[in-house]
Amino acid sequence: MTSTAATVDRDQILTITQDVFAAMLDSGEQLAFERFEPAPEFTEPLAAWVDMHAITDFGPLSVRALVNTDMAAGRDITTGLLMLPEGEDVTREDLVDAFGEIANVVGGNVKSLLDATAKLSLPQVDDNGPDSSGAQFLQDLAINWRNHVLVVSLWLLPNTQN
Amino acid sequence: MFVIVADDSRVMRQIVIRTLRQAGYDDWEILEASDGQELYDMVLDNTPDLVLSDWNMPNATGIEALVALRQAGSKVPFGFVTSEGSPEMRAQAEQAGALFLIAKPFTAESFQEVIGPVLV
Repeated sequence: MTSTAATVDRDQILTITQDVFAAMLDSGEQLAFERFEPAPEFTEPLAAWVDMHAITDFGPLSVRALVNTDMAAGRDITTGLLMLPEGEDVTREDLVDAFGEIANVVGGNVKSLLDATAKLSLPQVDDNGPDSSGAQFLQDLAINWRNHVLVVSLWLLPNTQN
Repeated sequence: MFVIVADDSRVMRQIVIRTLRQAGYDDWEILEASDGQELYDMVLDNTPDLVLSDWNMPNATGIEALVALRQAGSKVPFGFVTSEGSPEMRAQAEQAGALFLIAKPFTAESFQEVIGPVLV
């Protein structure tokens, strides 16, 4: 079963996310933690994702790494990455670029954990997220970062051979 | 020292350049390329001392740019700064002629550790 090649546990997702946020946004300080309460519904949602595709001995394998949050977190991530003053307005272009890079780095590190050599897509960003119809949920983890909530989830895409 | 930083993300190029400054390389002259094709053209036009390139970029990837540069006779010192640091990719990078691969997320210290020996 190729889906077994996509086994990534929640602790691994947490470690990757903490490393990404500490190194890229928080000057090495650990400010991202697992959230044990249910994630709230995002009133102004924002999503970024990358897909990874591999051909295994058992057939094609495609996994999506998706990061969901709200627009306020996306704006704070953008000002943080660009080292702009907190609360400063950011352009949509910069927000897409910055939040997409977060998904790209998280996804790239998830890809390294797959038991297959995969090719990573360029990141995509959308307010409402990707069409995940037919995708199979694998794993998710809610993160508290500063005063925001982000949810990192992994999905097995429909062209994967089960 | 004249360096080209290639990444399709403008934000990431800024982060890489900022990290170079934090690592102590604050007097380097830096040009930016936003995809593999632009990187290829820029290297042949400018003969930099070092290239720091993302792997996954539109038009041509970083590894495609590196292979094409070697085929064109360029011996530019070349390193990857990429979100993907699997052993397979490190081996592929080395085989194509890259000197190092820095995995994202990175720190100023990881830049110093990897880039420092290349400058000797």
